[in-house]
Order: sequence, then structure tokens, then C-alpha cells
Amino acid sequence: MSKYTFPIGGIHPNDAKFSKGCAIEVLPIPPVVYVSMAQHLGAPAVPCVAAGDKVKVGTVIGEPAGFISAYIHSPVSGTVKSVGPRKDLAGNNVTHVEITVEGDEWEDGIDLTPDIVKEIPSDRAAVLDKIKKCGVVGLGGATFPAHVKLNPSPDTKADCILINGAECEPYLTSDHRIMIERPEEIVIGAAIMQMVLGGCRCVIAIEDNKPEAIASMKGAVAKLGYRNMEVLTLKKKYPQGGEKQLIDAVLRRQVGSGALPISVGAVVQNVATALAVYEAVQKNRPLITNTMTITGDKLPVSEQHNYLFRIGVPFSFIAEQAGGVPEYAAKIVSGGPMMGKAIANMDATTVKGTSSLLYLSKESTKRKEEGLCIRCARCAESCPMGLEPFLINRVYKAGDLAGMEKASAQDCIECGCCQYSCPANIPLVDNIRMAKGQVMAEIKKRRSNGK
Amino acid sequence: MTGIFLWTVGILAGLGFILALVLFLIAKKFKVEEDPRIDLVEKALPGANCGGCGFAGCHAFADAAVKAPNLDNNFCPVGGNEVMKKVAEILGYEVKQQTPKVAVLKCNGSCENRPRTNEYDGVKSCRVKATLYAGDTLCPYGCLGCGDCVAACNFGAIAINPETLLPEVDESKCTACGACTRACPRGLLELRNKGPRSMRVYVACSNKDKGMFTRKACKAGCIGCGKCAKVCPHGAITVENNLAYIDYTKCKLCKKCVAECPIGAIHAVNFPVLKPKPEAPAPEAKKEAANE
Repeated sequence: MSKYTFPIGGIHPNDAKFSKGCAIEVLPIPPVVYVSMAQHLGAPAVPCVAAGDKVKVGTVIGEPAGFISAYIHSPVSGTVKSVGPRKDLAGNNVTHVEITVEGDEWEDGIDLTPDIVKEIPSDRAAVLDKIKKCGVVGLGGATFPAHVKLNPSPDTKADCILINGAECEPYLTSDHRIMIERPEEIVIGAAIMQMVLGGCRCVIAIEDNKPEAIASMKGAVAKLGYRNMEVLTLKKKYPQGGEKQLIDAVLRRQVGSGALPISVGAVVQNVATALAVYEAVQKNRPLITNTMTITGDKLPVSEQHNYLFRIGVPFSFIAEQAGGVPEYAAKIVSGGPMMGKAIANMDATTVKGTSSLLYLSKESTKRKEEGLCIRCARCAESCPMGLEPFLINRVYKAGDLAGMEKASAQDCIECGCCQYSCPANIPLVDNIRMAKGQVMAEIKKRRSNGK
Repeated sequence: MTGIFLWTVGILAGLGFILALVLFLIAKKFKVEEDPRIDLVEKALPGANCGGCGFAGCHAFADAAVKAPNLDNNFCPVGGNEVMKKVAEILGYEVKQQTPKVAVLKCNGSCENRPRTNEYDGVKSCRVKATLYAGDTLCPYGCLGCGDCVAACNFGAIAINPETLLPEVDESKCTACGACTRACPRGLLELRNKGPRSMRVYVACSNKDKGMFTRKACKAGCIGCGKCAKVCPHGAITVENNLAYIDYTKCKLCKKCVAECPIGAIHAVNFPVLKPKPEAPAPEAKKEAANE
């Protein structure tokens, strides 16, 4: 048993990794794809194609609109049918590029051979530029543009890069599968990021409920023999995959309130991001595919899948390919059950950060009636950030902005541990998220006034 | 025994007297001079402390009104012209008559008009719901139905209609304090002129999508066709972002737009019911034409 885990809070939900044995299948390409322009954190990309344009796989169709933004490439070859608003999975209007698929012709210069390129390039600026041009974003959930994170300001220095293979969310197995099936590519991607950050230490952190992945990654690290790189087994606990929790678990360093991981010398990237970096740098291949899990609490394992999908594929198409939406499904979630988003619109399309299609039954998702707080403090015990959720909930309800800030609502990572452990079913996360929004707006206002 | 009793009473009485004297002297010494008119004005105000005037409460408003050189920027929407007349009398100012206003819901997405596409099972708060997703219908602009406006209303003037699941404003109770307009995360409530004999014309929709999408989401949504703007003889209607808006300061209540609207998104309320003219099925025919 490993001793590595984050010290405070956390919960142990049933990990429900039913689909961990399902090998990755390649999802067919639908006749039409809709590529969202808001697939990353930061400013949405600006579409740079118009209706009627011919595109190949890998053609740039969206350009970044600011420092924190990313390129978006066509995931298919064909003709652009329209550029305009379309509803995303929450039902809000987002600019999408609609492409009618014709054949599968790739842009020149993209290496489609399965050979593994082990040579690590040494030109830091060129590698960063490639990562940026290929539109690589963090695939752990927040979809933060990778080139920004890998290029910290000169006055900070990274001494450790953590490759996050914790996959602490229940149900999800896509990271697990890529660690088993494509370990060498991940390790090379990690080595590239290690080089970009100036040859610092590299730790690949995996939770102990994935022994196959640990063995496979250890094998790859030993085989490739890069310097200063190790695989670390973590004790299973949710939310270990959270950036701040992972840094605490591995390095025993605490990231301050409002600070970035780089302030303690750490950079965290997901294993899927490492794979995307490998593909971008070694194969010249933009980020147009990702791996997702199709699973559910009552879905037979034979109907569960891990798919390698092209971005822009509608969820309805994926559900159809996977055998239709099961009858028991009361709630369909994209992402994990703890932090994922419910899908209100099955015609919405996959984005770079899509990690799952999760069918949950009524019994497991229906909210129970809210009771009264009995001050049992289970929420405070489970909070990995050391906050007092019941207190934030109370000051939020009283509309006390100063109180919310004093109670550190802005440091909430919205992991849901408090709500999960609350015996009175109080919607703590929902309310704390609102409080956090209000406090963040206030802090922003204060900052802009101060300038 | 009597001695102890007398001593106790004596000491306590003496103590009380000394402390009262101290309090009296301190109150004299540190007395805050306040304009006596502030109290008078406050008494004349409704005393709801709703904040509709833009001040923290009735006392703050009275304070501001007394200190201001005139009453141009201070108006109590709850008390209306009558209360302001009293305030003006106390202060010796002139008060500008303001037309009474009322809160109006710019959405007509009832259960019948706007079919539900999913079931919301989260916190019963519009603010929370609005941050999560577009809502349980296809309209990302319309009423979320969780009743934040109901909770915000200090006067009990808003209630959710259980049939339509939309909030309804009770005109007799609405004081136009504007608390609901601030509470609604989608800004669906607007303070509009109450109008002569409470007659008003307004667009009961806030959907800025293109007509095609609006039609899919809601039977009563404004599709931005612009017919109303063309027919309006007073130039009161503007269509922006596929949504018509009637400027209530220009509207003369001719109701031409109401007849012209193919959707029925323009509502005319509190008009006397006229006897149907024999040659007036035109709007009906147009409605059907638009549906085809």
C-alpha cells in the first residue's frame, strides 16, 4: 500500500471502473460534424473558414483570440457547410463550424505511421510553438491551453512536472486505457514536456486501483530510459486528480490561495495531454482526437466502450454507435459523476476535453429531499481544501459577501466531496459555486480598481 | 431583616439614579444633531425598506432627500406621487410627477407554449440554474421558473402560476421597487409605465435566437420578423438581435402591432373588450399563413 496521498479531506466513492477492460475502439466518422469554437478555457477561437471552403483533416479552422486561447483544427476532411451559433451540451449558443464529411484526407506533413519516434527534440521554442500550433490543451478537465502552462514566466522555475494519471473520478477509464495501450507515447510526451521545462524531475502519478496501468507505465519508463523520470503509486482517494491535491500528495507542497501551481515549482499535466503533446511534436498531428468512455451504473459491460473519437462528433451519434441510450438512463453526464456536466442536449458535440458519456439511473442521481444542517461537520472533514462548506453555505444564504470571502469561498475547487458526504443532502456545492462566483467577481473588481 | 431590605432597595435605587445621570450626561455631550425633518420624511415614507429608490432603506432615503438641493434624483417608487408630494411639502421642494410603473414579465414560455425537453432536479434557485445550463426547455433566454423573483418581492406581488409555471405580477400590489428585475438572472422583468387605466402593450419575449430556433423552442417566441416595427405609426418599436422591443415612452397604445404579430408575442393587457367587428379576421388568417 502506498503512502502517497493528499493529507486533508477527500472521500472514497465506489470507483465503478466497469469499462477498464474494454479496449479502445476507433469511432466511425459521422456524415456531418460540428466543431465548437469554445473548446478550451479562455477566449473562444475565431473561425477562419467560411461556408463552401474545402478542408482536410488538420486544417486550421479556428484561430486563438487572445493569450489564453487555442487553435482549432478540422477533425475531418470535407466541405464547410456553415459557420454559426449552435447549442452546446448545456443548451447555450456557441459558434460552431459545420463540416460535411467527404473521404478522409489528411493535411500534408502529418505522420500517420504507427512508428514510435523516440528522439526528443532539443529546440524548446520550436516545440512550444508546435504545441501551440497543434491546439493542445489540458485534457484533465479544465482544458487550459498547454503552451501557456508549459511556458511559465521567467521569474518562476519549475522543478517538477507531474503527469496526472490519477483518474480519481468514478466510472472514467479512458486515461486508464491509454496508459495500458499507449504507454510509450505518453512517456515520450512527458519527456518532451520535461525538456521544455528545463529538464526537471518528472513524476507519473497513478492511483493504486489501476495496477495494470502502473505496470505498463513502469515498463515503458524502464524501456525508454529517460533521465529523472519515475512512476509513483498513489493511494486511491477522490479528488486526487485535482491539481492542488496532486501536488500535495506527491511533493507535500501547498499551493496558496489564488496562486498557480508554478508558484511552488510544479506543473501538472494529464496523461492524455502528454499523449497529445507526443502526437503534436513527434507526429505533427493536431489535437483532433481524444479518448472517451461510454459507461453507466446499470449498463452491461458488454455495452460499455472506450472510444477514440474525433472532436465535433454529436453525442447522439456516439450513443447510437454504442447501442443507443439505455432505457434506465435518467441522467446523461459528460465527464465524471462528481464534476461532470449533465447533457441537456444530445445533439451537442464532443469537444477536446470530452472524457465520457455516462448513463446514470434515477436511483443514483435523483436528489433527495434537503434536510437541516445538524453541524456534524462531515463536509468540513471531507473538504480537500480545508474549507468549512456549511459556513460558506450559511453566509451565502445570508448574502454576506465579506463573510463569503472570509470563509474562502474563492478557494473551492467544486469537487463535490461536501455534498457527497452531507447526510442532510444540502446542495452545498451549488451554493458554494454561487458564492465563489460572487467573491471572484468582487476580487476582480477590486484588482481592476487598484490598477 | 427590615434593615437589609431597606439597604438593598436604597443601594439599588441610588445606583440606578447615578447610572441614569451618567447616561443622561453622556447623551447630552455626544448628541448627534440630526435634522428633525429626516424623521418626518421617514414617517411619511412607506417604511418597507425595499431599496427600490436606490438607497439602503427608508431612513437613508429620507436623509438623502433632506440633504439634496432638490428632489429630482430622489423618488420613492413604492409610495409614488402621493408620498412624494407629502415629502415635498415637508421639505418645501417641488416634486416632478412620475408616471407610475409596474413590473412586466418579458416571457410567455408557459408549459403549453414551450415544451420541456429535460427535467431539472437541482437547487430550486434561478441563479443556480442559470449558471448550470440553458434550462429545461430549448429557449436559453426564457423564464427558469424557480421563483427567485417571488422570493425577492417584499410586497407579495409575484406568484408562480402553477399551470403556466411562469411568475405573475399582481398589479395592485406591485410597487415598482425593481427588486425582481435585479433578482432575475436573465433580466426578464422590466419596469414599464403602468399606462392609462393600466393599459399596456409589450413584447412578452426575450429570445434573441434566429426565428427558426425560436420557433422550435417556443410557440410564443418573438421571431424578429419586424412586421410590428413596420406597422407602428409612432416609431416605438425596434427590432434588434431578432427581438422586438416597444419603447413605452413612445407607444400610444394603438395596438396595430398586436394585430400584426404572427406569433402573438405582443401582449396588450387591460384593454376593454371590444365587440368583434364583422370584417376583422385578418390577423387570424395571417397567423395561419405564418404557421404554414
